[in-house]
Amino acid sequence: MTGALKRGWYGLAGLGGLLALTEAVPRLGLVDERFLPPATRILGTLAAQLATPELWIALGETLRGWALGLALAFCAAVVTGVVIGVVPGLRALTSSTVEFLRPIPSVALVPLATLLFGPSLGSTLLLVVYASFWQVLIQVLYGVAAVDSVAADTARAYGLSVWSRVRHLVWPTALPYVMTGLRLAAAVAFILAVTAELVIGSPGLGAEIQVAQSSGAIPAVYALIVLSGLVGIGVNAAVRLLERRVLAWHPSVRSEVAA
Amino acid sequence: MRRPARLLTLLALPALLVLAWWAVSGGSFYLPSPDRVGRAFVETWFSERLVVDVLPSVGRLLAGYAMAALLGVGLGVPIGLSPRLRATLEPVLEFFRAVPPPVLVPLIMLLAGIDTFMKVLVIVSGCVWPILLNTVEGVRALDEVLSDTCRMYGVRGPSRLRRFVLRGASPQIMTGLRQALSIGIILMVISEMFASSSGLGFTIVLFQRQFQITEMWSGILLLGLIGLGLSVLFRRLERRVLSWYYGSGAARA
Amino acid sequence: MLEISALRKVYEGPGRRVEAIRSITFDVGAGELVCVVGPSGCGKTTLLRCVAGLLPASAGEVRVDGVPVTGPPPRMAVVFQEYGRSLFPWMTVRQNVELPLKEKKVPAGRRRELVTGSLEAVGLGDVSDAHPWQLSGGMQQRVAIARAVAYEPQVLLMDEPFAAVDAQTRADLEDLILRLWRDLGVTTLFVTHDIDEAVYLGQRVVVLSASPTVVMEDLKVDLPPERDQLTTRSLPRFGELRGHVYRQIQRARDQR
Ligand SMILES: Nc1ncnc2c1ncn2[C@@H]1O[C@H](COP(=O)(O)OP(=O)(O)OP(=O)(O)O)[C@@H](O)[C@H]1O
Ligand SMILES: [Mg+2]
Repeated sequence: MTGALKRGWYGLAGLGGLLALTEAVPRLGLVDERFLPPATRILGTLAAQLATPELWIALGETLRGWALGLALAFCAAVVTGVVIGVVPGLRALTSSTVEFLRPIPSVALVPLATLLFGPSLGSTLLLVVYASFWQVLIQVLYGVAAVDSVAADTARAYGLSVWSRVRHLVWPTALPYVMTGLRLAAAVAFILAVTAELVIGSPGLGAEIQVAQSSGAIPAVYALIVLSGLVGIGVNAAVRLLERRVLAWHPSVRSEVAA
Repeated sequence: MRRPARLLTLLALPALLVLAWWAVSGGSFYLPSPDRVGRAFVETWFSERLVVDVLPSVGRLLAGYAMAALLGVGLGVPIGLSPRLRATLEPVLEFFRAVPPPVLVPLIMLLAGIDTFMKVLVIVSGCVWPILLNTVEGVRALDEVLSDTCRMYGVRGPSRLRRFVLRGASPQIMTGLRQALSIGIILMVISEMFASSSGLGFTIVLFQRQFQITEMWSGILLLGLIGLGLSVLFRRLERRVLSWYYGSGAARA
Repeated sequence: MLEISALRKVYEGPGRRVEAIRSITFDVGAGELVCVVGPSGCGKTTLLRCVAGLLPASAGEVRVDGVPVTGPPPRMAVVFQEYGRSLFPWMTVRQNVELPLKEKKVPAGRRRELVTGSLEAVGLGDVSDAHPWQLSGGMQQRVAIARAVAYEPQVLLMDEPFAAVDAQTRADLEDLILRLWRDLGVTTLFVTHDIDEAVYLGQRVVVLSASPTVVMEDLKVDLPPERDQLTTRSLPRFGELRGHVYRQIQRARDQR
């Protein structure tokens, strides 16, 4: 308990140090203030921006694209993964295609998205869904493959239907993997949501940064970057919390807590 | 007897998909048929573009990635070895990792201008975090019994670093490198899309703006192939570096 | 050779204080083999780690050859309780055994000799190119022993090295230790919770009490120096000594 407290103090000291450094370096003239505004100015700009409704709307747009894309990709990937895992032979049949499509960087789809949807939510969704779909699918496939073959044989021997096999055997086994996939996908989805806004101009945080950059408002660029980092931390924390909740009963989490 | 069967299962679905593509592509303006994309691919990319646009892009990616790897591992090892340093820096590092790397592109462009240096810097600054944090985690989780063994048998200094610390942390370091590779590709492409007059990303966006749809698709195909090629190379490297790890069954999924 | 005087160790955890060892004093003469027995959790591993210089003592002192221990002394080797984890999984068996010798800057020729010799002594001459995880538990244990032996230590510490192997392998390994000890004349401190094993191997047996740990008895084993699994274990004196130690440990438990 006190150990965690002590670590917390160290961490605060680290954050304080970072702030002090970004305050001191431009003030002392080590770096031109035009390039690195002091921390107080960055945070001040952020506070001022947070008082405007535009920023909140942009933030909402980003989170909407993120959540919607993630949810779509997640559902599609789970269904695909379970079907591939449960239907015999399908895994071998699809493996080459999965291995080929998975490493294709989703930014390759930027021109296509621009063409099809222009600067709108559709572009964001296309990139986000493509990128996060593979993250979840791969984990679901691992998870389905992890179903103990003895357990699977037992289930078959007792004549469980396909549906109850999926519900009582495949799904519980795969769940930790699925949650890992969700966690990885959530981070990737956030990156791609911001990318789409930045490059294609779909409304959101990324577009705000793009606007600030082209008008040369450096403190605003910094402020928005800090905000995007904070949102990123929030997104990660939320997904971790969800993971912890969903897996509370699962031995893989319990041992982690005990260790 | 079994080889042809295996080949069939490998190729059946891709062949089916290409056929479907062919069937669908007939009338659509946005989706040219595979043979036209294939021809455009050869014409577009096996030309001077290969030397002017493609190779420099890939070169910048590899240079930035290598620098990020050196930096990430070089900083991650001391941070991972010192509990105090780790406790102090972890929140800061977590913050930097949470910043979506693409937002660094406009910033660095403002600061460093639009040149090769900026593009490499973007890649370094985006790739370094996953490598750094995974290295820290790997070094932190080194086995204490092995650490005691090193102390007992006088393994210290550079030898300890090379034979124990880096090897022991290598599974996590490789995880970080894998995450960084896909971030690197994203940054390579968008740093060129955003502001540039050459490079792969720039060329593809140019095709799109000029409605050269077939060429645009050939560019998407090329990016896909680059991603695939790099990930195959990476997997080879991983298999080699971590053969002991996969063999020992310590690896799970 | 090895002097342990009034050694005390308290683990100061956050919000938790464990007195693992209250006070332990005993000596091990040069070339002697002393066994330490005690109930589980009484601090045997802690004692060994203090002697090895891996853990600072809270009070008291350990001296090796007259020199106070502050860090791992040179020419001391340890076989850890978690022997499986003490082998480097990315190295072959041979590389594992060779590593400490490389650090000691032993010339290549001599190194090869020592590695081959010690691996053959433990009966692993033919698996030297395997990786540790390709071996059984007992074989891994023997690799750890070979590594310690090849190091040519003055003092050898072993922490319950045979806890996880089957009875037959265990008997073989016990005889292996006796043979190596006799051939090399190395001062050996052997921790175990197996009373039979302690009496069979040791020239002396140090019995530890349950926590808070002190030395209950320092017993001389007056059995003939040549030990043999069958004849030694069926000697009436062996039974007496075993019974004696057993009662001591029972008493230690009851006192808690
Ligand atoms: N790092 C540590 N921090 C706090 N307490 C510890 C630590 N290591 C051991 N202890 C405590 O010290 C006591 C002695 O532990 P030790 O491992 O030395 O016992 P042992 O005699 O080797 O037991 P066993 O026969 O089971 O191996 C135990 O109560 C244990 O909980
Ligand atoms: Mg112990």
